[in-house]
Amino acid sequence: MPGILPILGANARQAVDSLARARLRTALGLVGIMIGISSVIAMVSLGEIAKEQARRQFEALGTDVLLVRTVAASAAPQGISLADAIGLVEAVPAVAEAAPRILGHGEFRHAGRKVGQGRVQGVTAAFASINRMSLQAGRFVSLLDADRHFCVVGATVADAMRQGGSGRIVGETLEIGDILFTVVGVLDPRPESYALPVQVEADESVFVPIGAAGRIADNPAIELAVARSSAGVDYRAAVADIRSWFRRRAPDLQLDIITAKELIAQMEAQMQTFALLLGSVGSISLVVGGIGIMNIMLVSVAERRREIAIRRALGARRRDIQSQFLIESVILTLAGGLLGILLGLAATWAICRFTGWEFLISGMSVASGLGTAAAAGLFFGFQPARQAARLDPIAGLQAE
Amino acid sequence: MTAPRGALRLIDVRKSYRVGPVTTEVLRGVDLEIGAGDLVSIMGPSGSGKTTLMNIVGLLDRPSTGRHVLDGRDVSGLGDDALSRLRNAHVGFVFQAFHLLPRLTAAENVCVPLVYRGTGRREALGRARAILERVGMGERVAHRPDQLSGGQKQRVAIARALVGMPALLLADEPTGALDTDTADETMGLLLELNAEQGVTVLIITHDPVVARRCTRRMRIEGGQLHEEDPRPPGSAGSTAPRRA
Ligand SMILES: Nc1ncnc2c1ncn2[C@@H]1O[C@H](COP(=O)(O)OP(=O)(O)O)[C@@H](O)[C@H]1O
Ligand SMILES: [Mg+2]
Repeated sequence: MPGILPILGANARQAVDSLARARLRTALGLVGIMIGISSVIAMVSLGEIAKEQARRQFEALGTDVLLVRTVAASAAPQGISLADAIGLVEAVPAVAEAAPRILGHGEFRHAGRKVGQGRVQGVTAAFASINRMSLQAGRFVSLLDADRHFCVVGATVADAMRQGGSGRIVGETLEIGDILFTVVGVLDPRPESYALPVQVEADESVFVPIGAAGRIADNPAIELAVARSSAGVDYRAAVADIRSWFRRRAPDLQLDIITAKELIAQMEAQMQTFALLLGSVGSISLVVGGIGIMNIMLVSVAERRREIAIRRALGARRRDIQSQFLIESVILTLAGGLLGILLGLAATWAICRFTGWEFLISGMSVASGLGTAAAAGLFFGFQPARQAARLDPIAGLQAE
Repeated sequence: MTAPRGALRLIDVRKSYRVGPVTTEVLRGVDLEIGAGDLVSIMGPSGSGKTTLMNIVGLLDRPSTGRHVLDGRDVSGLGDDALSRLRNAHVGFVFQAFHLLPRLTAAENVCVPLVYRGTGRREALGRARAILERVGMGERVAHRPDQLSGGQKQRVAIARALVGMPALLLADEPTGALDTDTADETMGLLLELNAEQGVTVLIITHDPVVARRCTRRMRIEGGQLHEEDPRPPGSAGSTAPRRA
């Protein structure tokens, strides 16, 4: 259709001009739209970020991980026995690997110098493989070490030992509390994963054979076993098998079994709650802002009856007037939308700081924010624009 | 378009308004025939229906009954969009209150009719400047209405009415808000444009001096239109062809 562009161009210039003139009203309408759009942005962004977060973590850890914990108020204070934890793999085919842990805490000294302070984790070889830990030098501890005083140091601890001038760390002696251990391995640095509610904190820790940990930990009970289900096994079957194994071995034990799949589901549910909250805040403020915009436009139409009539007399069709006012309301909501995008991204960034998730700007969220803003402009601007188009030009020309 | 343009006929046009239970018939069977290039004045007491008649002639309003023929084409049954297009192409309005758009410059005001027919901004501005030059407002293209005197505003309004080369110029008391000298000049401009461009001009006025300068004079009274005696020969006026 020839000539539609000049009309739209003229309309857009006209719209910007008239909006700039009604500053206070414009500002009020903008705030509503801004909050609405920022909620949309935060909602979509956080959804994307959480999904990405979960994807990365479970990619690193695998979705076949199970966490077996004793319930704190359990009637069996002795916890899981080492034999039961080790026997799990043999007895329950659904479990491929199991890594029990005894957790202690201590100060580390080397050559008379303090080289760190952190977790002393009594583990088996399976702990390293399940948690995807790799060695820089030497070897990991294993069941074969029994209760011998061997240890594997985390990357940070190793760095501190190097500061003291020891070139080769394997073979050195490390004091944990006041007990001497021989270093048999050094770990690669390992970023912490938040996918499971078990913190490894490998870099700041020292790992010792599980049989030797009893001397260091205040509570020598096994508090946790990380297990990996066998390939092709449904995690629910694995959970049921683990429960029945422990029910036979230690009937008093109350266990809490968490699976990666459940965690993903939990995370998704949490995200959905988030999204629902943001979505309702967003839609309420969009509606409030939209009604504000509608009001601005209705006032604008009423104030400009004469202008509309003059334009009609000069040959504007109803649709020309309608598009003039629609463009005006869309410009208004898009301006609010742009501010809303900035606010929404800032809010998303703050939430990411708070939750420890990695912030990223998703193109999807920006696009949906702009789309929503434009749609709100069209929707809430429709009635005023229609009203403007239907004004009687003769009455408008007589209006003063 | 085939020459001549700007001829129009109203045949038994009636217009009535209903306010509450009362129906008032403002136009009671108006017959009017105007030839291309005519220069016509219409006088009549206040409230006699002059503006109503002009709105109908200018396609802003529709008669309650009767026919409206523009250059041989019956436009009585046209829809709103078609009337808007025709108004844009065929009619130029000049109002007593000027009716310029306050936020636009003189040149931008003159551009508006062109914008609605899809002329590009640059071309429209060029044509607006040219016609503002013609009406003696070449120095004021960038002024806004509140920076112009009444006479200057009316010149801009006349430029806006003519920029689209309409066949018909309708002026509703164009000098009613101007002092005598300015009114005189404005009237002179309308006469010149009628002679120069052959545009049919219809002027509603209260001023017998204005009426006397037109080639045909009509009076509306009691809802009917009558042509007054042909003007005395030899007086100043249009050189455009006339139809009796
Ligand atoms: N929209 C309307 N509703 C009711 N009456 C109207 C309307 N428009 C005009 N009239 C009446 O029609 C008559 C003629 O009005 P108008 O054409 O403006 O007269 P003039 O221009 O000759 O002064 C007046 O009595 C006026 O009150
Ligand atoms: Mg009038």
